[in-house]
Order: sequence, then C-alpha cells, then structure tokens
Amino acid sequence: MNLLLDNLALLITIVVGLVIVAWLVRHYRDKSRWRKVSPWSYLVLIFMIVVSAFPFYWMYIVASNGNEEISKNPPTLVPGDRFLTLIGHVFEAAPTFGISIWNTVVVGTVISVAQVVFSALAGFAFAKLNFKGRNFLILFVIGTMMLPSQLGIIPLFMIVNDLGWGSTLTAIVVPALVTAFGVFWMRQIIDAQVPNELLEAASIDGAGVIRVFRSVVLPIIAQSSFVLGLFAFLGTWNDFLWPLLVLNDPNQFTVQVAVNQLSASYTIDYALMLGGAFLATAPLLLLFVLVGRQLVSGVMDGAVKG
Amino acid sequence: MKKLSARIAGIAIAFALPLSLVAPASAAPAAVTLTVWTYGNVIEPQAIIDYKKLHPEITIQLKKSGLDAHHQSLITSFLANKTPDIAAVEVSYSGYFRSYPQYFTDLRKAPYNSASIENNYLDWRWAQGVGYEGTVFGLPTDVGGMQVAYRPALFKAHGLPTSRDAVAKLWPTWSAFIATGQKYQKNLSKAEKDSCSKKKVCYGFIDNAGTIYNAVLNQGTKKYYENDNTKDGKLVYESNPQVKTAFQTTATALGAGIGTNINSFTNDWNVGMNKGIFATILAPAWMMDYIKQQAPKTKGKWDIADLPGGGGNLGGSQLTIPKSAVHKKEAWDFMSWYLSPAEQLKIFKKYGLFPSTSVLYDNPALKNFKDPFFNNAPVGQIYGSSVKTLKPIYEGKKQRAIDNIIGQALSRVGLKKQNAASAWTQALNEIKNAVGPSK
Amino acid sequence: MSNTASKSLSPWRASDPRKAKKPKQKASDGAVVNSLNGGWGYLFTAPFVVMFLIFGLAPVIYSVYIAFFSWDPLDFTHTYIGIDNFVRVIQDEQFWLAVRNTFSIWALSTFPQMVMAIALANVLRNPMLKFKTFWRTMLLVPNITSVLAVAIVFGQLFSRDFGLVNLAREYLGMSNHINFVSETVPGHIAIATMITWRWLGYNALIFLAAMLAVPNELYEAASIDGASGWRQFRYVTLPGIRNTITFVLVVGTIGGLQVFAEPLTLAGGESGGDSRQFSTLTLFLFEQAHMGNWGYAATIGIMITFIVLIISGINFVFTRRLGSGENVQ
Repeated sequence: MNLLLDNLALLITIVVGLVIVAWLVRHYRDKSRWRKVSPWSYLVLIFMIVVSAFPFYWMYIVASNGNEEISKNPPTLVPGDRFLTLIGHVFEAAPTFGISIWNTVVVGTVISVAQVVFSALAGFAFAKLNFKGRNFLILFVIGTMMLPSQLGIIPLFMIVNDLGWGSTLTAIVVPALVTAFGVFWMRQIIDAQVPNELLEAASIDGAGVIRVFRSVVLPIIAQSSFVLGLFAFLGTWNDFLWPLLVLNDPNQFTVQVAVNQLSASYTIDYALMLGGAFLATAPLLLLFVLVGRQLVSGVMDGAVKG
Repeated sequence: MKKLSARIAGIAIAFALPLSLVAPASAAPAAVTLTVWTYGNVIEPQAIIDYKKLHPEITIQLKKSGLDAHHQSLITSFLANKTPDIAAVEVSYSGYFRSYPQYFTDLRKAPYNSASIENNYLDWRWAQGVGYEGTVFGLPTDVGGMQVAYRPALFKAHGLPTSRDAVAKLWPTWSAFIATGQKYQKNLSKAEKDSCSKKKVCYGFIDNAGTIYNAVLNQGTKKYYENDNTKDGKLVYESNPQVKTAFQTTATALGAGIGTNINSFTNDWNVGMNKGIFATILAPAWMMDYIKQQAPKTKGKWDIADLPGGGGNLGGSQLTIPKSAVHKKEAWDFMSWYLSPAEQLKIFKKYGLFPSTSVLYDNPALKNFKDPFFNNAPVGQIYGSSVKTLKPIYEGKKQRAIDNIIGQALSRVGLKKQNAASAWTQALNEIKNAVGPSK
Repeated sequence: MSNTASKSLSPWRASDPRKAKKPKQKASDGAVVNSLNGGWGYLFTAPFVVMFLIFGLAPVIYSVYIAFFSWDPLDFTHTYIGIDNFVRVIQDEQFWLAVRNTFSIWALSTFPQMVMAIALANVLRNPMLKFKTFWRTMLLVPNITSVLAVAIVFGQLFSRDFGLVNLAREYLGMSNHINFVSETVPGHIAIATMITWRWLGYNALIFLAAMLAVPNELYEAASIDGASGWRQFRYVTLPGIRNTITFVLVVGTIGGLQVFAEPLTLAGGESGGDSRQFSTLTLFLFEQAHMGNWGYAATIGIMITFIVLIISGINFVFTRRLGSGENVQ
C-alpha cells in the first residue's frame, strides 16, 4: 500500500505539473493572441533552464565540496573551495585522464571530417549522378539505417580484433568513418539546396565532375556540412557502448571510458565520479557557447518533415 | 584521375597524422613501463613508490577498474591479443580462468620456478592459482580472512558488552549472532526507531545482513562446484547442503531485521559508516583499508572480534602474467617482490591487507601488531587465526554468475519483496538457466 | 557500430532539410543531372559502400551465423547447436522481462515528455517572445551532455538515504524515502527522468520548427472564425505537427530500445537490480555477452532487430493513414 502511495505521489506531482503548464499555455494564449507575452511564459522558461542547468551545477557542487558535504542534511547547495584538490584526485585516480580528453578530440575531429567528406561525396552521387544501381543503393542505405547497432556489435568486435585493432583508437575511428545516416542526410541536403541548373551550367562550361563538386556543390553545402560535422563530433565525444567494449589500455581511452573507469572502482566516490563527469562535460559546454546557435538551427532545420 | 588519387592519399595522410600523435611512441629502450591491471586495492600505492626507488628504470602503470569490469576487460584483452603485463584475478573469477590456462604464462617454468616459493604461501590460497591442467597461472596476493568489525560505543548504547573477548562470546554461532542483533534492535532509541518506521534512515546492528551469506558459505568445504578434473568442473549448487544453509541463515538474519539494507561500497554505506548508522560490518582484512579511507574520522571507534562459526574468508586475488604480456621478466620480478613475505608484512602494517604468506603467521612483527584505528585490536593475531582454520574450496567456472543470482535473491528477501522459500526456488531456476543443472 | 554517431543524431533520421535556411522550393525534385558523367558515381560512393560492407553489413551477417552456436569467446572451438538459442530466447523469462522493462521505461519517458515538449514549443513560438535565441540555445544544453554523465549525476540525486531527490521530498512533507534502486516503478521513473531531461529541449525545438512551418494564414483564418487559443491549438497547430509527433515517436522508440547506460548506472550491475527490474534489452545482451554466451547474445540482438522491424512496420501503416488525412486546408 505504501509503495502504491509513493508512486502515486510522484505521478500526481508529474501530472499536476503538466496540467499547470498546459493551463498556463492556454491561459496566456486565450488572453493575448500573440500580442504580448504573459510573464508566466518567462517563468516557465526560466524554470526549464534552471532544471536544465541544475545537474551541471550539481556536478560542480559535489566536485568542489567532497563527499561528506553532500551527504549532510540539508545538503550543501553552494560551491565549495576544494575544486582543485578534488580535480587533482581525478588525475591521481586516472593519471591518463588528460590523454583521454586529447584522444577524444583527435578521434572526434578525424571522424567528423571523414563523415562530412565521405557523406558529401556519396550524397552528391546519390542526389545528382546517374549511374546504374543508384536506386538500389539508396534503398540499401535507408534499409540499413533501421538496423539497431547492438545487432552487429559482437562480430564487429571480432573483426577489429582480427584486423589487429583491438584496444586501439583505430577500432573507434575506422568503423565510424562513414555512416548510412550521414550519406542519407547529405543526399537530402544536396537534393534540396543545389539547383540542377547550376550544375548543368557548370558542366556545359566544361567542368568535370570533381570540379563541379568542389567549386559548385561544396560552397553551397558548407554550412550544413559544418553542422553534420559538429553532431558527429558530439556523437563521438559522448559515445560509450562501443569504446567501453573495445578499449582496454588507459593510454587509448576516450573520455567517456575514462569517466566510467572512475566510477568503476570498488567504492563509489561521488566527488571523484562527478569531478570526472564535470571535466568530460566542460569542453562541450565551451564548444556549445561558440556554436550553440548553429546546433539549434541544425536541429530545427532537420526537424521539419517533408 | 591523378588529381583524385592524390587527394585520397592526402586524406589518408590527414587521418594517419593525428592518430600517430595519439599513440605516443614507446619510451627509450632502457626504461620499461609495466602495465598492471587490477581492481580495488590489490596493489597498494606505497608499493609502487617503493619499487620505483629500487628500480628507477621501471614505471608501473596501474589500471584500476570495478571487479566485474576488470575481469571482462581482461577477457577482451585476451581476444584482442593486447594484454597487460600483470593482471589480477579475483577468487570469484579464478574458477573461470583456471579453465583457460592457455592464456596465461605457466609460472612453474623457468625462469619463474614458482615451486621454489610455493611453501611461503597458504596452501589453499596457492591452489586458487592452479589451472585445471596443473599449470600455475597466478601467485596469491593477500588473504581476505574475515572477522567482525564493530563499534564498542554503539554496543554499549544498545545494551551489549564492549570488550572484544566478551563480544566474541556473544556469538559462537550464527544463530547467536542473529539473536545478539535482535537484542541490539530492541534497544534502539525512540528517535532511531521512528527514523526507520517512516522509511527514512534505518539504524541497525549490521550494515547488511546479506553479507552473512558468503561468510557462512566459505566456512564449508565446497561451494557450487566439485573438482572432477574436467575443464569445467561439476555443478553441485543444489546438492551441496552448505549453499542452502548459507542461504537460510542469511534469510533468517534478513527476516530478523537486524540490518540496514544498505549495500556495501555505496555512497549510503560510506555515509552510514561515518554517522554510525550500523554497529557491525563483516570485515575481511582488506576492508580495514576501506573503512580507514572512507571514514577516517571514526578512528579509534572500531574494534575487531571473532567471526561466528569460526574462521572466514572473502575475496583475495592472484597476480598473473598473461601469455602475450610484453615484459614478462620484469612482471615476474615485481610480482615476486610485492608478494614476498617481507613486503607483504609492510603492506599489512600500513593498509591491513592480510598476507597469504603463511610463513609470517608466527612472526612476532605480525602476531603482535595492533591497529590504533581499531582500538588497538591485535589484528595480526585475530585475522591469522581466522585464515588458518579454513579448508581449500574448489572455485568453479561460473561461480561469479551464481553468486550474483543468489545475491539478488537475498536482496529480494531483505526488501520483503519475496519470502525465503520462493526466492530460493527462483534463484535455483535462474542458476539452472544461466549455468546448467546441478548434479 | 559503423553508425555510432548516427545514434546520437538519430532524431535527424528520415529528416528532410527542405525547409532549411532559406525556405526556398526544392532545388531539384530528386532528378539527376544527366550532363554529368554518371560513372563517377561509383567512385564517389565507393568509400561508403566498401566501408559499410566491412563494418556495417558483415557483422550483421556474422552475428546471424554466431546465433547458431554455443560460443564462449575464450574457447578455440565452438559447438553448432542449431536453433537452440532461438528456442531458448522465446522461453526465457528474463528476456521477456527485459522486453517489459524496456517498454515500461520507453512509455514513461516518451509520453509525458511529448506533452511537455509540445507545451514548451507552444510557449517558444510566440513571435513577441524576447531573447528567443537564448531560450532555444539553453534548452538544448542537456542534449550535448553524455548519457554517462547524466546517469552518474542523476544516480547520485536518486540515491536512497542521502540523495537530493529524497531529501527534497522530505522537505515537501513526504517523509518516506523512496528506494529508487530497488523499487521497480520509481526506478523506471528515475530512468525516464534522465531520458526526459536529456531530450525534452531537443524535441521542443523539433516541435517548434514544425509549428513555425504551419502557415500563419491558417491561424488568421481560424481567429476570424472566432476560434479561441485552445481551439486554434487543437484544430490548427496539432494537425500541423501530426507528422512530427509520429516522427518523434519512432525515433524515441529506436532510442528507447537502446537504453543502456542509465539502467546500468542506477542498478550498479549488468543484471539490472535484485528483481532484474532495470534489465533492458541492451543490458541483457551485454550481460549474456559478458557471461561468455556470445551465441545467445547474438540471438538477443536478432530479436531486438525483429522488434524494431515490427514497430517500424506498424509505424509505416500508421503514418500512411495519418498522411492521407493530412491536408487541413
């Protein structure tokens, strides 16, 4: 009975929250009809941002206070002054943590550049070039996007071992150089953004396929390529399952594996784990400050279904 | 076409370049980096510092992982043929790896000649590093002799005696231990009782009564397997009465409500230790190190008494040299140094890991050693007497999986999700599905 | 795994950037340019095709092969056992429990999130809203965090005795502590919370884009007809974003079948807690793989694929029916 009540309380909290949001939305819309924005809107948004930001803040609180402080009742909610000491513990527990970050930067850059290049090449061919088997290949690309990654993970592991790449970053990089998704996405982009007349005009002027690709197609899709590359980079940075399976050597860890290593000790040391998570997230937050707007527009551009 | 191939070559170089930056070329030939993979505190930091002084040319790179993660990554390293120079194998996995001696260096052979040092160690600990074909694939590290760590002040506050002799007399058997726990629970203050009845923090006699299971099981002569000289061993988890006894004893303790249901090695456990939420922990010797690390402020508030039922063990590992290790000689040099009686004595004094080098057990330096953190308990003598009474137990291939299933079943009993009988039935079923029928 | 990165981008899947940047018409209707030499197509697609055959398709075929064996990775030889693994998986209670857990977590993370995301998008779409870019950008922040970091932080927040969630409940007068780690429904809610936190802003932006694409004239016509805010929402906005709802649902399902790091961290082990209440399909696959049952793990992978295909099939039918009644004009 008690159990039921517990869950009920939680569910009710959620439902009430939803009803309030829905009511607020309706309330201001009824009255204002877009003419002005109800202060409630801002309140909702501010609340959402607080909720979004809190886990990051909490990482810092724990990583700057240590374990004892956070298990007080009431817990500390302000940053402490031991951040550097505790971050020092991260590097003590995982001396190669810095290498892991560097590894991930390099691997992420290589993968995103490769994905953009290969996807653009194949995407261009699928969108604009007339060759036998094109339609079959396009169907093939779409079909394979449906396959869940778990399906082939064990054989893939055996394959990279047979190739001698086990426990190396090569095993992370090479299988990720191309993705069906990237090709499909680029095909759509080139189909939508590159007018055929432009290509025809260029080819009548005597430009070969490579020149057309380089001087006509590439400039047009530059911005979309950048967004694709960014997401590939983020994807690589945050990838966990495959690196966890393949990577064993601390010198060859990616950052997520390194963070996991911190949490995989006998005792659960939250200051250490959250310190590591903070270090692994901070570079992304910095990157986000620089390119957040592009990411937003990337998400929104990709959203509208045709 | 020429242009294109040049471009492709350019792209290939662009990929190769940063990758070569990632993997730094190995250091100068004279220096050797020894890669060592362990979990927990198998290799203590002081040893690495000391070894560097003895052998400045050798750098030890330690990788610590969780227990399961460590052994899984060892398996994947075998498959990738990129192994560390030294790998720890914990007892619960030693049964698995003894089926695969082909992946380890046989230490009987020259230049290791393990036979020459075999007599330094407890025989049953040594046996845990012997593969099914008789190969020696690992040297024993510490032995996890088990005793009861308790807090005299809390005992006093709840109507129990405090001196370690009097405390040991409280519980010659496990049922006496449970009865003592019930007495403790009865004497909880009103505030402590209220705290739990509102499903908040529950105060209790023991951190988690589920830990009794392994203590009882290891007091027997066999666990889930029998040695029938085959690669995989013979499953006896159902026919061996000790397994059911251990399960029943633990279920009774859980039913008696003497524990807090806080799981070991969690944040709540650390906090509970600091705040004195529970009064006892079934503590293998190596756990003394954890208590010191996680609750340094409780120094002097602990004491150690004998385990009910006489003697106990939990954990312990072997250090192995995988077959494809690069620096086998250096690995052996470090291993045999670290696990030598002299070095083990030092480690015991500093950290509490109890040596498996039985030649030390009559050494006064060990026998008379008292630990101020544990109220000057003669831990050397207490843990020594614990491990000497134990008999060798055959460690089976998929023991870890069976341990986990039974652990879950007991956890369900502890949380009152299931009664003991149906939890036992379900566990047997799950074990059968996971590893096969008992014979 | 060759589609590693695409997993994190998956909501872009099946997307179409036709309304990108400049909302111009499609540049070409999927028509090829015949004046360009098509032979280059083979060369341009070669890197993709070759790499994909090796790292994408070969493992899939190989895993079907492995599924017919009893395959312990450290053994040098493996035993052919026919369809035993498939018979076993059909009868395996743990497998069906993993299916149930996966769908429970999926439902708890998908539907409340969808409602909240639509509501949030509705707030964001107001043209008079100030600091538009700021709000949109901030809402995307959780999405760039790694699943692992999210799982670690929330795992700490949800811990039983001293986790912030339980302490907060205490201050709100709910004095009982919920054991998120051992109770099934609260545990699933905790995992759903992690997923919702990470994807809410992202999906809100997707809905926002869909809402902004609904022609303004429709709203004007509706308000001339005297439709109130709610009726506008019901009869103009909702039909306009119907396809997007389906899209988010499908993507959420494919993502939901891969949930792994959150339950692993919360349960603290691959068996998924004392009643296996966090054992999701992917976690179950990994548990079996790590127990040395690679043949069986491959079989589970194949079962997951079947589930994806079935759901995609259902969705295909569903979308077609929705699509036929799409034009609201």
